[in-house]
Amino acid sequence: MLETFQNLYFGFAVALAPGVLLYAFLGCVVGTLVGVLPGVGPLAGISLLLPATFGLDATRAIVMLAGIYYGAMYGGSTTSILMRIPGEAASVMTCIDGYAMARKGRAGPALSIAAVGSYVAGTVSVVALMFLAPPLAHFALRFGPPEYFALLVLGLLVLAYMSTGSMIKALAMAVLGLLLGMVGIDQMSGYFRYHYGVVELGDGLGVVPAAVGLFGLSEIMLTAGQAVRPDVIRPRLRELLPSRQEWRESAGPIGRGTTLGFLIGIIPGSAHIISSFVSYAVERRWSRRPEEFGKGAVAGLAGPESANNSATSGAFVPMLALGVPSGPIPAVMLAAMMVHGVSPGPLLIRQQPELFWGFIASMYVGNVVLLVLNLPLVGLFVNLLRIPYHFLYPAILVFSIVGVYAVNNSVVDVWIMLGMALVGYGLRKLDFETAPIVLGLVLAPIIEMSLRQSLAMSDGQYAIFLTRPIAATLLAVGAALMLLSLRPLLTRSLDWRARLTLAEKGE
Amino acid sequence: MLTADRLAGGVLVALALGVLVESRALPIGSLRNPGPAFVPAVLALLLLGFGILLIARRGPVVRAADAGWSDWRHAVAILAACAFAALALERLGYRLTILIVMVFLLALVERRGVLATSLFAVALAFGSYYLFGTILRVPLPLGPLGF
Amino acid sequence: MGRIVVLTILVLAATTAGVAAQDAFPSRPITIVAPFPPGGVADLTARPVAAAMEKVLKSPVGVLNKTGAAGAVGMQYVATSKPDGYTLLLALSSISIIPEADKLFGRPPAFTVDQFEPIALISADPTILVVRAESPWKTAKEFIDDARKRPGQITYSSSGIYGTLHMAMELLSHAAGIKMRHVPTAGAGPALTAILGGHVDALASGPAVVIPHIKAGKLRPLAGWGDKRVAALPDVPTFKELGYPDAEFYIWAGLFAPRGTPEPVVARLREATRAVANDADFKAAMDKMQTPIAFKQGAEFKSFFEVDARRLAEGIRRVGRIEEKK
Repeated sequence: MLETFQNLYFGFAVALAPGVLLYAFLGCVVGTLVGVLPGVGPLAGISLLLPATFGLDATRAIVMLAGIYYGAMYGGSTTSILMRIPGEAASVMTCIDGYAMARKGRAGPALSIAAVGSYVAGTVSVVALMFLAPPLAHFALRFGPPEYFALLVLGLLVLAYMSTGSMIKALAMAVLGLLLGMVGIDQMSGYFRYHYGVVELGDGLGVVPAAVGLFGLSEIMLTAGQAVRPDVIRPRLRELLPSRQEWRESAGPIGRGTTLGFLIGIIPGSAHIISSFVSYAVERRWSRRPEEFGKGAVAGLAGPESANNSATSGAFVPMLALGVPSGPIPAVMLAAMMVHGVSPGPLLIRQQPELFWGFIASMYVGNVVLLVLNLPLVGLFVNLLRIPYHFLYPAILVFSIVGVYAVNNSVVDVWIMLGMALVGYGLRKLDFETAPIVLGLVLAPIIEMSLRQSLAMSDGQYAIFLTRPIAATLLAVGAALMLLSLRPLLTRSLDWRARLTLAEKGE
Repeated sequence: MLTADRLAGGVLVALALGVLVESRALPIGSLRNPGPAFVPAVLALLLLGFGILLIARRGPVVRAADAGWSDWRHAVAILAACAFAALALERLGYRLTILIVMVFLLALVERRGVLATSLFAVALAFGSYYLFGTILRVPLPLGPLGF
Repeated sequence: MGRIVVLTILVLAATTAGVAAQDAFPSRPITIVAPFPPGGVADLTARPVAAAMEKVLKSPVGVLNKTGAAGAVGMQYVATSKPDGYTLLLALSSISIIPEADKLFGRPPAFTVDQFEPIALISADPTILVVRAESPWKTAKEFIDDARKRPGQITYSSSGIYGTLHMAMELLSHAAGIKMRHVPTAGAGPALTAILGGHVDALASGPAVVIPHIKAGKLRPLAGWGDKRVAALPDVPTFKELGYPDAEFYIWAGLFAPRGTPEPVVARLREATRAVANDADFKAAMDKMQTPIAFKQGAEFKSFFEVDARRLAEGIRRVGRIEEKK
């Protein structure tokens, strides 16, 4: 324990050195920018700026790249709240209640809560990272294909809590999303599926173009044509900060979101995207007023935002503790380390204490920097809303197109975005939810691959899901949840959802 | 009567059938060793089920035509502008494409004045090029005029 | 009359511009396309190459990441671009794999290997076979013997079906007459994670990413697919030494230009890459990444490339389409 604090002190000495601090700050600023811009997310941002770090020493490079990563997580909430355009895939859930709050005139409080929630989550999760990295990493590594499959099936059950309306429609949208996720090369057999000769579809539709099109562009298409313009809100300073009530409402969700996000984030793979989805569902189930969700519930914003940010730190756990590339972003950071001659691996903490502790300390510093950056910017961003919509939305369009193009230098991505925009427009008109589509799109390839990998591992025996303890536990939990929600059918009492739908219909 | 639900259900059913047809070309494998068509087929069947449910259920009756399509022209114009951008981006170069799209949207669709349109269009085209191309180092396409 | 003048001037300007462009290569920035995402092997090799070439050619050389479909997108992009020497490709061995896989599935190929003109080979990492430190096999012989006794029971991960890591194991299986069970993953990263987590028994990998884990005692190297032993692992024998000369596989990175690039341009590029291979900064950069330079050029590279392509094509045809086997 004492040793940890000594190391931390040493780390702060490294992180607060002017040179390193400068690069952390730079990373945070660029990250915020990248997060605010639609389409370009943390992965694209880090990849684009990786070459720029080649001239720096290892610590500065890593610190800057990490700054970009969680700066993007902070910034992603901004466009989600103000314009319902997800800054990156993980901000999709923020679009729902965050934007609803903005429409109610509570854009300032929404942004503030997001910033503070992100700060708390970021800081707490760094502390967890510091103390728990090695043992947690070992646990995380035990997640193999069967565990993944069980976890994600559990994640799908979460869908039941995501929708505000009809269950059938939400499930249909989820299945649609899952189907869309089937496009691309089948990694298990080498077949191309549903790509019609377009090589770029080999990796699938892509969450980024789909999310930006489905949420952002369709929103523009829906709003721009309306005869009644959205109200221009002129906020006063007092209105920029959340009320005491709102602070109280966000405390619990922030705490729960942080824990949940961190735990999901440590699992290797892209599972951390679902941290915000799961947090939303948990908050909704926990809340005494679930009917508020979708219309501007504070918990629906605070939870997912916190989960987002702590999943970011969680993703670093396997990377730093064991040198395992636990996802695309840690993989790029590992590569950055290799380029600078640092050998990532289990001995990283011991061999490169300067890098590790400097990194941790810079994450503390970075979170503070981002809070300081984002809170005053709340006023600035809210004022952006004052720009007349007919000038604002073309600008958003341009940024969306460029942002989506920039990720892969591919016009095909732009076309996908447009296609999904059309789909989103139609679906919104017909009163369908679009969030489950994104969840399905993200989960489909992983679920299918985990299933088939598990069967390959066990040579076709489905028993593998029951013989491995973690997988069996997760599946049992899932089965229990399903039975619990089916119980009302047996006892003929209405569950909270049915009561909800009835109440809504009665209005 | 074509309700919103029936329309949506119909589309889903059509999509599901389409996927099933397209999947015939892929091997389906077995339960022990699912092939590339296995999971898509299962999902398509599920979608088919949901689509049929939507068509058949007695939900709230909202006519499809009443869903508020009045703004479709505007929406189509926006989509068309973006489609043009996608086509022209790599052929005409970034800045020129954005300029044209802005002029189209602001002058023709939104009917703003010439001065406001041109100022805004130029500012946005060049400003965003600087932001993405120079600061974020995204290689944005240059057009035939090297522009 | 005025219009004719303007037209003439434009035509003259265009022709002079065209003539001027042919004068000195390179007169414009060159782009090296890396068909993999930043941070991947192709990218990390492309950047030092670009930096060194810039010094040699005294003209800007940039790297463009065009990712997708295991490299097919970037490779197709260069195959169909203008053969003027300004768009080059830094390809990995998958350049020979992708068209073969396409043929296997009866798909129109995204590109074919003869759409490219090989310029030079930059690096060639032999793959090495690693197993977990806790596993019972201490030598390659024990491993192979065990595989013979229990066909189809030993699992290995790879970066994807018909990918480089899969083909390496395939070549070994064929050469040693053994049968193992393949668990594909979505890339080299997840493949490494799978073995570190104990979910599979073995992995064929490029040395650079596994050496830290070997040194930390988590993985054990058994043998290598190279012609010579890996410098960083002098105690690890090659399969050649163990009596399986057919098990030879490298994850190599080479520079290509589209076929049809004029001869003088190709010659200049070859000259430049030779200078690059001898450049001190380049050598230092590659050292840092623990990737040895294996420079081959002209006819030498061509024959290396063709041998490798043939080997891979045979391997892919042998694997066939998996459902046809069950």
